[in-house]
Amino acid sequence: MSILSPEQKAVQQAAKEFVAKIIIPNAAKFDKSGEFPMLLLEASKLSNIFAMAVPKEYGGLNYDALTQALVLEEWGYGCAGMGTTLAASVLSMDSVLIAGTDEQKRRYFKPMLNAEIGSFGLTEPGAGSDAAAGTATAVKKGDEYILNGTKCWITNGGFATVYVIFANTDPAAGVKGISAFILERGLPGFTIAALSVGLAQRALDTCVAHVHTCFPGKPFPGQTLQFKLAEMQIMVEAARDCLHQAMRLRDEGDPYSKESAICKTFCSDVAMQVSATAVSLMGSYGYTSELGKYMRDSKIMQIYEGTNQIQRLVISRAVLAHPPAPAPSTAQKAGK
Amino acid sequence: MNFELTEEQQLIGQSARDFGKQYLEPIAVELDQKGEFPKKVVQALAKHDFLGLLLPDDVGGAAAGFVSYVEVIEDLSRYSAAVASIVNNHTIAAYAIQQWGTADQKKEYLPGMAKGEILGGFAIFEHGPTPGVGTDALVAKKQDVGYVLNGKKAFVRNAGEAGVYVVFATTDPALGAKALTAFLVKSDAIGVKVGEKLETMGLKGCPVADITFENVVIPETAVLGAVNGGAAISAKALAVASVAEAAQTVGIGQAAVEHAAAYAKQRVQFGKPVATLQAIQTLLAEVATDCHLARLGLRNAALLIEEGKPFEVEAAMIKSFLARLGSKMLIDTCQVEGGFGYSETMPLPRLFRDIAGTNLLDAPGDFPEKIIAASIA
Repeated sequence: MSILSPEQKAVQQAAKEFVAKIIIPNAAKFDKSGEFPMLLLEASKLSNIFAMAVPKEYGGLNYDALTQALVLEEWGYGCAGMGTTLAASVLSMDSVLIAGTDEQKRRYFKPMLNAEIGSFGLTEPGAGSDAAAGTATAVKKGDEYILNGTKCWITNGGFATVYVIFANTDPAAGVKGISAFILERGLPGFTIAALSVGLAQRALDTCVAHVHTCFPGKPFPGQTLQFKLAEMQIMVEAARDCLHQAMRLRDEGDPYSKESAICKTFCSDVAMQVSATAVSLMGSYGYTSELGKYMRDSKIMQIYEGTNQIQRLVISRAVLAHPPAPAPSTAQKAGK
Repeated sequence: MNFELTEEQQLIGQSARDFGKQYLEPIAVELDQKGEFPKKVVQALAKHDFLGLLLPDDVGGAAAGFVSYVEVIEDLSRYSAAVASIVNNHTIAAYAIQQWGTADQKKEYLPGMAKGEILGGFAIFEHGPTPGVGTDALVAKKQDVGYVLNGKKAFVRNAGEAGVYVVFATTDPALGAKALTAFLVKSDAIGVKVGEKLETMGLKGCPVADITFENVVIPETAVLGAVNGGAAISAKALAVASVAEAAQTVGIGQAAVEHAAAYAKQRVQFGKPVATLQAIQTLLAEVATDCHLARLGLRNAALLIEEGKPFEVEAAMIKSFLARLGSKMLIDTCQVEGGFGYSETMPLPRLFRDIAGTNLLDAPGDFPEKIIAASIA
């Protein structure tokens, strides 16, 4: 991990401590009750973490993308449910960051500085993967807009202070009017990727701890088990590297929408695979442990913020957009 | 071999589907939410002769073959895999008594088990540094009165509801597996203590708990099979159980892929049903294929069991296959149903949690692949 800067390491360490103190001890309780964890907001006031993406000039922490990913990974490690509250908040503020006016930024970043949260309303009952099919409308009346329609599956819904809502201002222009947005929407996938890496790491750690309990001080049994653990470690490490690389591109200001789609897909697939393998490997221990939650939580990672099928569409279009240069013939290679 | 089910096998399967539709479908969601043992359903199962399927006529069983049995388990699992799990654990205990029991033991337990008056359970796993099929966590000490059991068994299904447990204990901890012995222990024997019901990810309603044995005195006539012959019994019973459990996996997978296909036909995105998208077709096709191949494999193993032929390798193969692909069936079908399907008001999340509880590798270090690899000539 030496490639992280001292500042990034410090943020990562602080996130680890916050997660160990606030999130991990409460995760099972809220998983069972399904209630919104208000204590999370209270505890976050000190760290100002909901303003981690907000620029300095607006009073935020101004973390670069990689640092945000480090924090989200830790939250995913602690509880992907609570992590999603942070992720959705970051996502909504990302929209303001990308497209907001200075006044909007001042106004809507402000609640985040007080550990209030944001929310991102895109999905509708008839518009999931096909976001362009949304029927919510925003009709201008004088200097105001009147919103009508229904959004669904809105993370933080009912608890957020600020909602970024997508609605059509010109139903006649329809798809064309919002198609630019759809092209861009691979971008925020990194929040899910980061949660997924944390989730996968947690599943692996749980499995490793279990093996140590089963075989205290003894050589571990069988290469089958050993190699499965190796496989899980390979996947977690590769997923994290993939995510960090995409974040570096973003921080450098380079295009990264393909990379974002790749890391959202890969990291969530890894979380799903690692957590399912962990349950299977740990047998009845896995089935009666918190690993069940990791498996359930991993499943939504493959679905929300653009299903992995939609991400693959984005990736395949990017792949096909640039035909490779013709390969030199054998004769040319040989210098003839 | 003939891949078609006989008319009788098809009829038994149909009766299980009818039963599932009438008795299981209406209660499956509540059972999953509350996790309480479904007493009424178990009574109904008994009334419809589903609790003595493998037992012979003379004890009131249905004398169905193992192929019919796995068909029933698959069909029940389509509606409630938790109930199928109760039936499986009961039936394998009855099967063990039928296989290895004395005439007196059969007479004592099997008629009641066929009628559902006595539910069976299997106490085989242990906690501790040698996990899985344990050898030293429960000790049976020979005394004048018979045997005295002391120790603990782990993850016993049907725990607290069973009237008789097939319990594996060692008569000599120093000898380990060589001294493993099977006993028939009544649930009301003094000193049998069922621990707190464990929270499971799925298959809720089929209770799982540890059982502690404190100076439990049992007569010598309660030994099942030979003294110190328990290892062979446990190996064979677990292999039979793994084939029956594979039928649960296939039933869940089949229910899921059918639900996802129906969903895909009515869910419109991009102006047409998502079922018309190749990516969705591929997901559904692969799950249906895995499910079909698993079904053929487990029927093959079931037929071998039914005909009394060696089946251990085929049983290991189906376990290995489904340990890799069982959960994947639900991971992929859930993907078809997207955000809507993830809601607990939809059925797939329950099936997702249920299927993960089938084909667990309960003995780390002891993989089915070992048996398969050794068999390759």
